[in-house]
Amino acid sequence: MVFTWLQAAILLFFLGGILFAAGPLVGSLLLAPKAHGGAMGESYECGVPTHGNSWIKFGINYYFYALIFLAFEVDILYLFPVAAAYASPQGLATTFKLLVFLAVLAAAVVYFMRKGVFTWPRKIQVSPRP
Amino acid sequence: MAPQNPSLAPAVNTVDPALIAQPAVQKLVDVCRAMSIWPMTFGLACCAIEMMAVGMARFDIARYGAEVFRPSPRQSDLMIVAGTVNKKMAPAVVRLYEQMPAPRYVMALGNCAISGGPFNIENQYNVIQGVDTLIPVDVYVPGCPPRPEALLEGLFAIQQKMTGRRWWQVPQGGQS
Ligand code: SF4
Repeated sequence: MVFTWLQAAILLFFLGGILFAAGPLVGSLLLAPKAHGGAMGESYECGVPTHGNSWIKFGINYYFYALIFLAFEVDILYLFPVAAAYASPQGLATTFKLLVFLAVLAAAVVYFMRKGVFTWPRKIQVSPRP
Repeated sequence: MAPQNPSLAPAVNTVDPALIAQPAVQKLVDVCRAMSIWPMTFGLACCAIEMMAVGMARFDIARYGAEVFRPSPRQSDLMIVAGTVNKKMAPAVVRLYEQMPAPRYVMALGNCAISGGPFNIENQYNVIQGVDTLIPVDVYVPGCPPRPEALLEGLFAIQQKMTGRRWWQVPQGGQS
């Protein structure tokens, strides 16, 4: 046999997953009548007309907070497997790699600190302040 | 009835038939649809309280497969117009109807939605005198407000409209 049973099972599950996701979409494409026109093409569905268009400038404050979240979150997330693996000794090279990883994430935090994000201002200036 | 709402356009209701429109297939799918109606979470006035009661344990619309009240028109196939439709609200009702995917059904719940109900008076300037002037209504459930059983009966009527038969037994003393 070309596959082992494990590989066959993985392939079967993969196929099942694709069918599970695509099946309803294809089914509705084939079986459902299609309504169109009116407000069907609008992006919002709360019953209120869309105001203005989406090509406007909007504040990137939340983007910053998302990045901070990411910096700390990714830190924690990837340190869990490290902590699990450190139960057995790993050698100096691994420690160095870990420090590089931490340094990159710390750079992001330092960057935000320099930008004054941690004073939690009402408005974050992207350009350096005078 | 149309000229009474000069500023409001009735809903656009263009529906293309399904790609596989064979009656045998559609009949089967219709039964599936009728047994899993997803109403829209959408109440306008006092009648909505009865709609909430229907969702709760005592009347339990889940027994008939319609308990999944969706907060989005894109996911619902039954709009229960529960309450007074006034001119301020009417455009939203029309938009929500237009955003529902086909096949879509509308139940006018209560006298307000059917005809304006208690607000159907001379020189009425604010309340739409019947939601069927704006969107096509499939089932009218009268009452002010209708009893939850009446709403269930309206649901049965919609299921009957979808599949061509009544699925549940007629309650004692009632006629189909
Ligand atoms: S029909 Fe009666 S109970 Fe229902 S919304 Fe109108 S006034 Fe309220």
